[in-house]
Amino acid sequence: MPDFGTAFSGLASDRKLTKSEKEVQMSLKDKYAIVGVGYTPQGRVPGRTAMSFHVEAISNAVRDAGLKREDIDGLICYRHFDSVNGEADITPYLVAQQVGIAPRMMSQEANCARSQLISALGWLEAGLCNYVVISYAYNPNADPSLFARIADNLTSNVFGQFGATADYAMAARRAMHVFHTGPETWKHIAVGQRKWANLNPAAQMYEQKVTFDDYYKSRLIVEPFSLLDNCLITDGGRACVITSAERARDLRHPVVTIMGVGGHNPSSSIEKSTIMAGPTGARESGKTALRMAGITLDDIDACEIYDCFTYTVEITLQDYGFFQSGEGEDWLKGGTIEPGGRMPVNTSGGLLSEAYFMGLTPLTEGVMQLMGRCGDRQLGPRTHTKEPQIILCSDNGAILQTHATTILRRL
Amino acid sequence: MTTYNKPLPQPNADDEFFWRGCKKHKFLFQKCLDCGLIRWPPSFLCPQCWSGNTTIIEASGKGKVYTYAVYHLAYHEGFKSDLPYVTAIIELEEGPHFLSNITECNPGDVKCDMPVEIVWDDITAEFSLPKFKPVRVTT
Repeated sequence: MPDFGTAFSGLASDRKLTKSEKEVQMSLKDKYAIVGVGYTPQGRVPGRTAMSFHVEAISNAVRDAGLKREDIDGLICYRHFDSVNGEADITPYLVAQQVGIAPRMMSQEANCARSQLISALGWLEAGLCNYVVISYAYNPNADPSLFARIADNLTSNVFGQFGATADYAMAARRAMHVFHTGPETWKHIAVGQRKWANLNPAAQMYEQKVTFDDYYKSRLIVEPFSLLDNCLITDGGRACVITSAERARDLRHPVVTIMGVGGHNPSSSIEKSTIMAGPTGARESGKTALRMAGITLDDIDACEIYDCFTYTVEITLQDYGFFQSGEGEDWLKGGTIEPGGRMPVNTSGGLLSEAYFMGLTPLTEGVMQLMGRCGDRQLGPRTHTKEPQIILCSDNGAILQTHATTILRRL
Repeated sequence: MTTYNKPLPQPNADDEFFWRGCKKHKFLFQKCLDCGLIRWPPSFLCPQCWSGNTTIIEASGKGKVYTYAVYHLAYHEGFKSDLPYVTAIIELEEGPHFLSNITECNPGDVKCDMPVEIVWDDITAEFSLPKFKPVRVTT
Protein backbone atom coordinates (compact mmCIF):
# COMPACT_ATOMS: atom_id res chain seq x y z
CA MET A 1 0.00 0.00 0.00
CA PRO A 2 1.40 3.42 -0.87
CA ASP A 3 2.37 5.77 1.90
CA PHE A 4 -0.60 8.02 2.58
CA GLY A 5 0.60 9.26 5.93
CA THR A 6 2.20 12.34 4.50
CA ALA A 7 1.91 14.27 1.27
CA PHE A 8 0.56 12.19 -1.58
CA SER A 9 2.92 11.47 -4.44
CA GLY A 10 2.89 13.33 -7.72
CA LEU A 11 2.14 16.68 -6.13
CA ALA A 12 3.08 20.01 -7.65
CA SER A 13 5.82 20.29 -5.02
CA ASP A 14 7.40 17.05 -6.32
CA ARG A 15 7.54 18.24 -9.93
CA LYS A 16 10.84 19.32 -11.43
CA LEU A 17 11.00 23.02 -12.11
CA THR A 18 11.09 24.26 -15.67
CA LYS A 19 13.99 26.37 -16.85
CA SER A 20 11.94 29.56 -16.74
CA GLU A 21 10.62 28.79 -13.26
CA LYS A 22 14.21 28.38 -12.09
CA GLU A 23 15.17 31.66 -13.75
CA VAL A 24 12.35 33.50 -11.98
CA GLN A 25 13.48 32.14 -8.63
CA MET A 26 17.13 32.88 -9.26
CA SER A 27 16.36 36.43 -10.31
CA LEU A 28 15.50 37.13 -6.65
CA LYS A 29 19.01 36.27 -5.48
CA ASP A 30 20.51 39.16 -3.48
CA LYS A 31 17.72 41.47 -4.65
CA TYR A 32 16.30 42.14 -1.15
CA ALA A 33 17.91 42.84 2.18
CA ILE A 34 17.16 42.88 5.89
CA VAL A 35 18.14 46.33 7.08
CA GLY A 36 17.05 46.68 10.69
CA VAL A 37 16.46 44.52 13.77
CA GLY A 38 14.33 45.49 16.77
CA TYR A 39 14.83 44.07 20.25
CA THR A 40 12.93 44.52 23.52
CA PRO A 41 13.64 43.45 27.08
CA GLN A 42 13.25 39.67 27.06
CA GLY A 43 12.81 36.82 29.51
CA ARG A 44 10.55 37.29 32.48
CA VAL A 45 9.36 40.87 32.04
CA PRO A 46 6.44 41.66 34.36
CA GLY A 47 3.93 44.43 33.83
CA ARG A 48 3.91 44.38 30.04
CA THR A 49 1.25 43.51 27.48
CA ALA A 50 2.02 41.50 24.34
CA MET A 51 1.04 44.56 22.30
CA SER A 52 3.59 46.71 24.11
CA PHE A 53 6.34 44.33 22.98
CA HIS A 54 5.11 44.40 19.35
CA VAL A 55 5.17 48.20 19.37
CA GLU A 56 8.58 48.38 20.99
CA ALA A 57 10.14 45.77 18.69
CA ILE A 58 8.73 47.36 15.53
CA SER A 59 9.72 50.92 16.46
CA ASN A 60 13.22 49.72 17.38
CA ALA A 61 13.61 47.81 14.12
CA VAL A 62 12.53 50.81 12.04
CA ARG A 63 14.83 53.17 13.96
CA ASP A 64 17.66 50.63 13.74
CA ALA A 65 17.36 50.72 9.97
CA GLY A 66 17.51 54.52 10.04
CA LEU A 67 13.95 54.72 8.75
CA LYS A 68 10.83 56.50 9.96
CA ARG A 69 7.32 55.37 10.79
CA GLU A 70 6.09 56.93 7.55
CA ASP A 71 8.37 54.71 5.46
CA ILE A 72 6.68 51.44 6.51
CA ASP A 73 4.14 50.22 3.97
CA GLY A 74 3.93 46.49 4.78
CA LEU A 75 3.29 44.69 8.07
CA ILE A 76 3.40 40.96 8.75
CA CYS A 77 2.76 39.56 12.22
CA TYR A 78 3.62 36.05 13.30
CA ARG A 79 0.72 34.09 14.78
CA HIS A 80 -0.45 34.98 18.23
CA PHE A 81 -1.01 32.46 21.01
CA ASP A 82 -3.96 32.88 23.39
CA SER A 83 -3.99 36.36 24.83
CA VAL A 84 -3.53 36.55 28.59
CA ASN A 85 -5.15 38.57 31.38
CA GLY A 86 -8.06 39.65 29.19
CA GLU A 87 -5.82 41.48 26.67
CA ALA A 88 -7.19 41.78 23.16
CA ASP A 89 -5.96 39.21 20.65
CA ILE A 90 -3.02 40.51 18.67
CA THR A 91 -4.19 41.33 15.15
CA PRO A 92 -2.20 43.20 12.52
CA TYR A 93 -4.95 45.88 12.56
CA LEU A 94 -4.31 46.63 16.21
CA VAL A 95 -0.55 46.51 15.75
CA ALA A 96 -0.73 48.92 12.77
CA GLN A 97 -2.98 51.24 14.77
CA GLN A 98 -0.63 51.21 17.75
CA VAL A 99 2.45 52.03 15.67
CA GLY A 100 0.56 54.63 13.67
CA ILE A 101 0.76 53.18 10.17
CA ALA A 102 -1.75 52.36 7.43
CA PRO A 103 0.23 49.81 5.42
CA ARG A 104 -0.62 48.97 1.81
CA MET A 105 -0.25 45.29 2.64
CA MET A 106 -0.82 43.51 5.93
CA SER A 107 -1.14 39.89 7.05
CA GLN A 108 -0.77 37.45 9.89
CA GLU A 109 -0.35 33.71 9.66
CA ALA A 110 -2.93 31.45 11.26
CA ASN A 111 -1.41 28.74 13.40
CA CYS A 112 2.22 28.32 12.40
CA ALA A 113 2.60 28.27 8.61
CA ARG A 114 5.96 29.92 8.07
CA SER A 115 5.93 32.05 4.96
CA GLN A 116 6.28 35.54 6.44
CA LEU A 117 9.60 36.45 4.84
CA ILE A 118 8.63 34.98 1.48
CA SER A 119 5.34 36.93 1.56
CA ALA A 120 7.33 40.08 2.23
CA LEU A 121 9.50 39.38 -0.83
CA GLY A 122 6.35 38.93 -2.93
CA TRP A 123 4.97 42.32 -1.88
CA LEU A 124 8.30 44.00 -2.58
CA GLU A 125 8.74 42.21 -5.90
CA ALA A 126 5.21 43.19 -6.94
CA GLY A 127 6.04 46.83 -6.27
CA LEU A 128 3.26 47.04 -3.68
CA CYS A 129 5.63 47.83 -0.81
CA ASN A 130 9.05 49.37 -0.25
CA TYR A 131 9.64 48.58 3.43
CA VAL A 132 8.01 45.58 5.13
CA VAL A 133 8.17 44.94 8.88
CA ILE A 134 7.79 41.43 10.35
CA SER A 135 7.11 41.15 14.08
CA TYR A 136 6.36 38.70 16.86
CA ALA A 137 5.68 39.31 20.56
CA TYR A 138 4.13 37.62 23.55
CA ASN A 139 3.90 37.87 27.35
CA PRO A 140 3.19 34.31 28.49
CA ASN A 141 4.62 34.77 31.99
CA ALA A 142 1.85 37.25 32.78
CA ASP A 143 -0.59 34.38 33.17
CA PRO A 144 0.53 31.41 35.27
CA SER A 145 -2.59 29.47 34.27
CA LEU A 146 -1.63 29.57 30.58
CA PHE A 147 0.13 26.22 30.79
CA ALA A 148 -2.99 24.60 32.22
CA ARG A 149 -5.07 25.97 29.34
CA ILE A 150 -3.17 24.07 26.68
CA ALA A 151 -6.22 21.78 26.40
CA ASP A 152 -7.76 22.76 23.10
CA ASN A 153 -10.62 20.34 22.49
CA LEU A 154 -8.70 18.15 20.10
CA THR A 155 -9.52 14.47 20.07
CA SER A 156 -5.94 13.85 21.20
CA ASN A 157 -6.62 15.72 24.48
CA VAL A 158 -9.09 12.99 25.37
CA PHE A 159 -6.14 10.61 25.56
CA GLY A 160 -3.94 13.03 27.50
CA GLN A 161 -1.90 14.33 24.55
CA PHE A 162 -1.18 18.03 25.17
CA GLY A 163 1.24 20.55 23.77
CA ALA A 164 4.20 20.63 21.42
CA THR A 165 6.68 18.93 23.77
CA ALA A 166 4.73 15.67 23.63
CA ASP A 167 4.16 15.82 19.88
CA TYR A 168 7.86 16.47 19.20
CA ALA A 169 8.75 13.79 21.77
CA MET A 170 6.76 11.35 19.64
CA ALA A 171 8.66 12.48 16.55
CA ALA A 172 11.97 12.10 18.37
CA ARG A 173 11.01 8.66 19.67
CA ARG A 174 10.19 7.49 16.16
CA ALA A 175 13.55 8.84 14.98
CA MET A 176 15.26 6.82 17.75
CA HIS A 177 13.59 3.75 16.25
CA VAL A 178 14.50 4.55 12.65
CA PHE A 179 18.10 5.79 12.97
CA HIS A 180 20.84 6.29 15.51
CA THR A 181 19.79 9.18 17.72
CA GLY A 182 18.62 10.03 21.24
CA PRO A 183 19.88 11.94 24.27
CA GLU A 184 23.50 10.97 23.42
CA THR A 185 23.13 12.99 20.22
CA TRP A 186 20.94 15.78 21.58
CA LYS A 187 23.27 16.57 24.49
CA HIS A 188 25.68 18.15 21.99
CA ILE A 189 22.90 20.54 20.91
CA ALA A 190 21.57 21.18 24.43
CA VAL A 191 25.05 21.99 25.76
CA GLY A 192 26.59 23.55 22.63
CA GLN A 193 23.88 26.16 22.20
CA ARG A 194 23.97 27.10 25.88
CA LYS A 195 27.68 27.90 25.42
CA TRP A 196 26.66 30.50 22.85
CA ALA A 197 24.06 31.86 25.28
CA ASN A 198 26.82 32.29 27.86
CA LEU A 199 28.38 34.83 25.45
CA ASN A 200 25.11 36.76 24.93
CA PRO A 201 24.17 39.10 27.81
CA ALA A 202 20.61 39.39 26.44
CA ALA A 203 20.11 35.59 26.49
CA GLN A 204 17.79 34.20 29.14
CA MET A 205 20.42 31.55 29.99
CA TYR A 206 23.40 33.94 29.85
CA GLU A 207 24.47 33.12 33.40
CA GLN A 208 23.50 29.45 33.38
CA LYS A 209 26.31 27.02 32.56
CA VAL A 210 25.11 23.66 31.27
CA THR A 211 27.25 20.50 31.20
CA PHE A 212 26.59 17.02 29.80
CA ASP A 213 26.05 15.93 33.39
CA ASP A 214 23.40 18.66 33.89
CA TYR A 215 21.73 17.47 30.71
CA TYR A 216 21.49 13.88 31.87
CA LYS A 217 20.23 14.98 35.30
CA SER A 218 17.63 17.32 33.80
CA ARG A 219 14.04 16.65 34.87
CA LEU A 220 12.03 14.45 32.49
CA ILE A 221 9.08 16.29 30.95
CA VAL A 222 7.73 14.00 28.23
CA GLU A 223 10.15 11.20 27.43
CA PRO A 224 12.39 11.09 25.56
CA PHE A 225 12.65 14.86 26.31
CA SER A 226 13.86 16.40 29.52
CA LEU A 227 13.70 20.07 30.46
CA LEU A 228 16.97 20.95 28.69
CA ASP A 229 15.65 19.60 25.37
CA ASN A 230 12.92 22.27 25.49
CA CYS A 231 12.94 25.86 24.29
CA LEU A 232 12.23 28.81 26.55
CA ILE A 233 9.09 30.68 27.54
CA THR A 234 9.74 34.34 26.78
CA ASP A 235 8.11 37.68 27.43
CA GLY A 236 9.27 40.12 24.75
CA GLY A 237 9.26 40.80 21.04
CA ARG A 238 11.42 40.88 17.93
CA ALA A 239 11.03 42.56 14.57
CA CYS A 240 12.96 43.21 11.38
CA VAL A 241 12.66 45.38 8.29
CA ILE A 242 13.00 44.15 4.70
CA THR A 243 13.58 46.28 1.62
CA SER A 244 15.44 46.15 -1.68
CA ALA A 245 19.22 45.68 -1.66
CA GLU A 246 19.37 48.89 -3.70
CA ARG A 247 17.68 50.90 -0.93
CA ALA A 248 19.72 49.04 1.69
CA ARG A 249 22.92 50.57 0.27
CA ASP A 250 21.69 54.02 1.34
CA LEU A 251 20.91 52.91 4.90
CA ARG A 252 23.06 52.67 8.04
CA HIS A 253 24.22 49.08 8.28
CA PRO A 254 26.35 46.75 6.16
CA VAL A 255 24.09 45.26 3.49
CA VAL A 256 22.81 41.79 4.36
CA THR A 257 20.94 40.33 1.42
CA ILE A 258 18.57 37.42 1.05
CA MET A 259 20.46 35.07 -1.26
CA GLY A 260 17.89 32.34 -1.35
CA VAL A 261 14.59 31.28 0.16
CA GLY A 262 12.59 28.08 0.12
CA GLY A 263 9.56 26.55 1.74
CA HIS A 264 7.84 23.21 2.04
CA ASN A 265 4.82 22.15 4.03
CA PRO A 266 4.32 18.41 4.55
CA SER A 267 1.31 19.47 6.67
CA SER A 268 0.26 16.16 8.24
CA SER A 269 -0.43 16.32 11.99
CA ILE A 270 1.63 14.13 14.30
CA GLU A 271 -1.20 11.63 14.43
CA LYS A 272 -0.98 11.00 10.69
CA SER A 273 2.61 11.92 9.94
CA THR A 274 5.10 9.45 8.51
CA ILE A 275 7.84 12.06 8.06
CA MET A 276 8.67 12.61 11.72
CA ALA A 277 12.03 10.88 11.29
CA GLY A 278 12.57 12.76 8.02
CA PRO A 279 12.66 13.84 5.34
CA THR A 280 10.78 16.80 6.77
CA GLY A 281 9.96 19.97 4.85
CA ALA A 282 13.59 20.99 5.42
CA ARG A 283 14.69 18.69 2.58
CA GLU A 284 12.79 20.43 -0.23
CA SER A 285 12.91 23.85 1.35
CA GLY A 286 16.68 23.70 1.74
CA LYS A 287 17.21 22.50 -1.83
CA THR A 288 15.09 25.35 -3.15
CA ALA A 289 16.98 27.98 -1.15
CA LEU A 290 20.42 26.62 -2.12
CA ARG A 291 19.42 26.51 -5.80
CA MET A 292 18.23 30.10 -5.71
CA ALA A 293 21.44 31.16 -4.01
CA GLY A 294 23.51 29.12 -6.47
CA ILE A 295 25.62 27.62 -3.68
CA THR A 296 26.14 24.32 -1.84
CA LEU A 297 26.33 23.52 1.88
CA ASP A 298 30.12 23.90 1.61
CA ASP A 299 29.58 27.64 1.19
CA ILE A 300 27.65 27.99 4.47
CA ASP A 301 29.67 29.56 7.30
CA ALA A 302 27.13 29.19 10.13
CA CYS A 303 23.53 28.14 10.74
CA GLU A 304 20.69 29.67 12.72
CA ILE A 305 18.24 26.78 13.00
CA TYR A 306 14.71 26.95 14.42
CA ASP A 307 15.18 24.97 17.63
CA CYS A 308 11.92 24.45 19.49
CA PHE A 309 13.52 21.22 20.73
CA THR A 310 16.99 19.70 20.45
CA TYR A 311 15.72 17.06 18.04
CA THR A 312 14.37 19.76 15.70
CA VAL A 313 17.93 20.99 15.19
CA GLU A 314 19.23 17.50 14.45
CA ILE A 315 16.51 16.58 11.94
CA THR A 316 16.74 19.97 10.23
CA LEU A 317 20.53 19.77 9.77
CA GLN A 318 20.17 16.14 8.65
CA ASP A 319 17.47 16.95 6.11
CA TYR A 320 19.50 19.91 4.80
CA GLY A 321 22.23 17.34 4.13
CA PHE A 322 24.95 18.31 6.62
CA PHE A 323 25.15 14.62 7.59
CA GLN A 324 23.56 11.32 6.65
CA SER A 325 20.63 9.86 8.56
CA GLY A 326 21.84 8.72 11.99
CA GLU A 327 25.28 10.33 11.72
CA GLY A 328 24.28 13.35 13.80
CA GLU A 329 26.12 12.29 16.94
CA ASP A 330 29.36 11.82 15.01
CA TRP A 331 28.96 15.15 13.23
CA LEU A 332 28.05 17.07 16.40
CA LYS A 333 30.58 15.64 18.82
CA GLY A 334 33.77 17.52 19.62
CA GLY A 335 32.06 20.91 19.70
CA THR A 336 31.16 21.26 16.00
CA ILE A 337 28.38 23.78 16.66
CA GLU A 338 29.93 25.56 19.66
CA PRO A 339 32.12 28.68 19.91
CA GLY A 340 35.33 27.66 18.14
CA GLY A 341 33.54 24.93 16.19
CA ARG A 342 33.67 24.36 12.44
CA MET A 343 29.92 24.93 11.90
CA PRO A 344 28.53 27.33 14.51
CA VAL A 345 24.80 26.80 15.11
CA ASN A 346 22.40 29.12 16.94
CA THR A 347 24.97 31.67 17.98
CA SER A 348 22.61 33.75 20.14
CA GLY A 349 21.72 30.68 22.18
CA GLY A 350 18.64 30.18 20.00
CA LEU A 351 15.13 29.36 21.14
CA LEU A 352 16.66 26.87 23.57
CA SER A 353 18.61 29.47 25.51
CA GLU A 354 18.36 33.03 24.13
CA ALA A 355 14.63 33.78 23.75
CA TYR A 356 11.56 32.37 22.01
CA PHE A 357 10.49 34.60 19.13
CA MET A 358 9.56 31.89 16.62
CA GLY A 359 11.53 32.16 13.37
CA LEU A 360 12.64 35.68 14.18
CA THR A 361 15.12 34.47 16.80
CA PRO A 362 17.24 32.59 14.21
CA LEU A 363 16.65 35.04 11.33
CA THR A 364 17.57 38.22 13.20
CA GLU A 365 20.64 36.56 14.71
CA GLY A 366 21.83 35.65 11.21
CA VAL A 367 21.40 39.28 10.18
CA MET A 368 23.19 40.67 13.25
CA GLN A 369 26.12 38.26 12.81
CA LEU A 370 26.58 39.27 9.18
CA MET A 371 26.35 42.95 10.13
CA GLY A 372 29.11 42.27 12.68
CA ARG A 373 27.06 43.53 15.64
CA CYS A 374 27.20 40.55 18.01
CA GLY A 375 29.77 41.57 20.63
CA ASP A 376 31.33 38.69 22.57
CA ARG A 377 29.51 36.08 20.51
CA GLN A 378 30.54 37.62 17.15
CA LEU A 379 31.59 34.99 14.64
CA GLY A 380 35.15 35.47 13.46
CA PRO A 381 38.39 35.88 15.45
CA ARG A 382 36.57 36.74 18.68
CA THR A 383 34.97 33.27 18.89
CA HIS A 384 37.70 31.41 16.97
CA THR A 385 35.36 30.75 14.10
CA LYS A 386 35.29 31.63 10.44
CA GLU A 387 34.35 35.22 9.63
CA PRO A 388 30.88 34.70 8.17
CA GLN A 389 29.85 35.70 4.66
CA ILE A 390 26.87 33.35 4.30
CA ILE A 391 24.49 32.12 7.01
CA LEU A 392 21.70 29.56 6.61
CA CYS A 393 18.55 30.25 8.69
CA SER A 394 15.54 28.01 9.19
CA ASP A 395 11.99 28.43 10.40
CA ASN A 396 9.67 25.58 11.28
CA GLY A 397 6.14 25.38 12.57
CA ALA A 398 3.53 23.07 14.04
CA ILE A 399 4.98 19.56 14.41
CA LEU A 400 7.48 19.56 11.54
CA GLN A 401 4.48 20.46 9.32
CA THR A 402 5.84 23.67 7.84
CA HIS A 403 9.35 24.75 6.98
CA ALA A 404 11.06 27.80 5.51
CA THR A 405 14.72 28.38 4.70
CA THR A 406 16.52 31.69 4.27
CA ILE A 407 20.11 32.07 3.15
CA LEU A 408 21.64 35.42 4.10
CA ARG A 409 24.81 36.97 2.76
CA ARG A 410 26.89 40.00 3.59
CA LEU A 411 27.56 41.78 0.34
CA MET B 1 -19.03 5.78 38.50
CA THR B 2 -16.85 8.49 40.08
CA THR B 3 -16.74 11.88 38.38
CA TYR B 4 -14.66 11.71 35.22
CA ASN B 5 -12.37 14.76 35.21
CA LYS B 6 -10.51 14.41 31.90
CA PRO B 7 -11.45 16.11 28.62
CA LEU B 8 -14.36 14.40 26.85
CA PRO B 9 -14.76 13.85 23.10
CA GLN B 10 -16.63 16.67 21.39
CA PRO B 11 -18.25 14.95 18.42
CA ASN B 12 -18.83 17.01 15.29
CA ALA B 13 -20.61 16.31 12.01
CA ASP B 14 -17.51 14.59 10.59
CA ASP B 15 -16.67 12.26 13.47
CA GLU B 16 -19.93 11.56 15.33
CA PHE B 17 -20.22 8.16 13.61
CA PHE B 18 -16.90 7.25 15.18
CA TRP B 19 -17.90 8.11 18.75
CA ARG B 20 -21.32 6.44 18.32
CA GLY B 21 -19.44 3.31 17.24
CA CYS B 22 -17.09 3.49 20.21
CA LYS B 23 -20.07 3.51 22.57
CA LYS B 24 -20.99 0.10 21.09
CA HIS B 25 -17.32 -0.99 21.21
CA LYS B 26 -17.08 -0.83 17.44
CA PHE B 27 -13.93 0.79 15.99
CA LEU B 28 -15.28 2.45 12.84
CA PHE B 29 -13.45 4.17 9.97
CA GLN B 30 -14.38 5.69 6.63
CA LYS B 31 -13.39 3.77 3.51
CA CYS B 32 -13.43 5.35 0.06
CA LEU B 33 -15.62 3.29 -2.29
CA ASP B 34 -13.69 4.55 -5.31
CA CYS B 35 -10.00 4.22 -4.43
CA GLY B 36 -10.24 2.04 -1.33
CA LEU B 37 -8.34 4.33 1.05
CA ILE B 38 -9.28 3.79 4.70
CA ARG B 39 -8.85 7.15 6.39
CA TRP B 40 -8.40 8.88 9.74
CA PRO B 41 -9.09 11.54 10.86
CA PRO B 42 -12.58 11.59 9.31
CA SER B 43 -13.02 13.81 6.28
CA PHE B 44 -15.79 14.93 3.93
CA LEU B 45 -13.88 13.89 0.80
CA CYS B 46 -11.24 11.24 0.27
CA PRO B 47 -7.94 13.16 0.44
CA GLN B 48 -6.48 10.87 -2.22
CA CYS B 49 -9.14 10.92 -4.97
CA TRP B 50 -11.64 13.55 -3.71
CA SER B 51 -14.47 11.07 -3.92
CA GLY B 52 -17.32 11.60 -1.48
CA ASN B 53 -18.47 8.02 -2.04
CA THR B 54 -17.76 6.58 1.38
CA THR B 55 -18.65 3.53 3.43
CA ILE B 56 -17.94 2.74 7.06
CA ILE B 57 -15.87 -0.31 7.99
CA GLU B 58 -15.11 -1.83 11.37
CA ALA B 59 -11.39 -2.15 12.07
CA SER B 60 -9.95 -5.19 13.82
CA GLY B 61 -8.43 -3.18 16.65
CA LYS B 62 -5.05 -4.75 15.95
CA GLY B 63 -1.92 -2.83 15.10
CA LYS B 64 1.51 -1.87 16.29
CA VAL B 65 3.06 1.08 18.09
CA TYR B 66 4.35 3.59 15.52
CA THR B 67 5.68 5.93 18.20
CA TYR B 68 4.91 6.93 21.77
CA ALA B 69 5.60 9.44 24.54
CA VAL B 70 5.88 8.96 28.30
CA TYR B 71 4.42 11.83 30.33
CA HIS B 72 6.21 12.83 33.53
CA LEU B 73 4.28 16.10 33.79
CA ALA B 74 0.50 16.55 33.82
CA TYR B 75 -0.68 19.31 31.50
CA HIS B 76 -4.24 18.74 32.75
CA GLU B 77 -5.44 18.13 36.30
CA GLY B 78 -7.29 14.99 35.24
CA PHE B 79 -4.09 13.17 34.28
CA LYS B 80 -2.08 13.87 37.45
CA SER B 81 -2.88 10.59 39.13
CA ASP B 82 -1.97 8.67 35.96
CA LEU B 83 1.69 9.81 35.84
CA PRO B 84 3.77 8.44 34.31
CA TYR B 85 1.38 7.58 31.48
CA VAL B 86 1.87 6.69 27.82
CA THR B 87 0.31 8.18 24.72
CA ALA B 88 1.04 6.40 21.47
CA ILE B 89 0.28 6.48 17.79
CA ILE B 90 -0.98 3.08 16.71
CA GLU B 91 -0.41 1.95 13.15
CA LEU B 92 -3.60 -0.05 12.57
CA GLU B 93 -3.44 -3.12 10.37
CA GLU B 94 -6.02 -1.47 8.08
CA GLY B 95 -3.59 1.43 7.46
CA PRO B 96 -4.62 4.51 9.43
CA HIS B 97 -2.64 5.84 12.36
CA PHE B 98 -4.63 6.45 15.57
CA LEU B 99 -3.48 8.38 18.63
CA SER B 100 -4.45 6.68 21.90
CA ASN B 101 -3.02 5.31 25.16
CA ILE B 102 -1.07 2.16 25.96
CA THR B 103 -2.51 0.48 29.04
CA GLU B 104 -1.73 -2.71 30.94
CA CYS B 105 1.97 -2.16 30.27
CA ASN B 106 4.84 -0.64 32.23
CA PRO B 107 5.79 2.64 30.45
CA GLY B 108 9.39 1.45 30.32
CA ASP B 109 8.37 -1.67 28.40
CA VAL B 110 6.64 0.11 25.50
CA LYS B 111 8.58 -0.17 22.22
CA CYS B 112 8.06 1.03 18.66
CA ASP B 113 6.59 -1.71 16.44
CA MET B 114 5.25 -3.57 19.50
CA PRO B 115 2.02 -5.44 18.55
CA VAL B 116 -1.03 -4.09 20.38
CA GLU B 117 -4.76 -4.70 20.44
CA ILE B 118 -7.77 -2.65 21.40
CA VAL B 119 -9.21 -2.48 24.89
CA TRP B 120 -12.32 -0.39 25.57
CA ASP B 121 -12.43 2.11 28.40
CA ASP B 122 -16.03 3.03 29.29
CA ILE B 123 -15.38 6.46 30.74
CA THR B 124 -18.91 7.90 31.06
CA ALA B 125 -22.45 6.86 30.25
CA GLU B 126 -22.03 8.55 26.83
CA PHE B 127 -18.46 7.74 25.84
CA SER B 128 -16.10 4.79 25.51
CA LEU B 129 -12.47 5.28 24.49
CA PRO B 130 -10.48 2.89 22.33
CA LYS B 131 -7.18 2.21 24.09
CA PHE B 132 -4.49 -0.36 23.39
CA LYS B 133 -2.63 -3.05 25.31
CA PRO B 134 0.25 -5.29 24.31
CA VAL B 135 -0.78 -8.48 22.51
CA ARG B 136 -0.10 -11.29 24.93
CA VAL B 137 1.85 -14.04 23.24
CA THR B 138 0.45 -17.39 24.27
CA THR B 139 2.62 -20.44 23.75
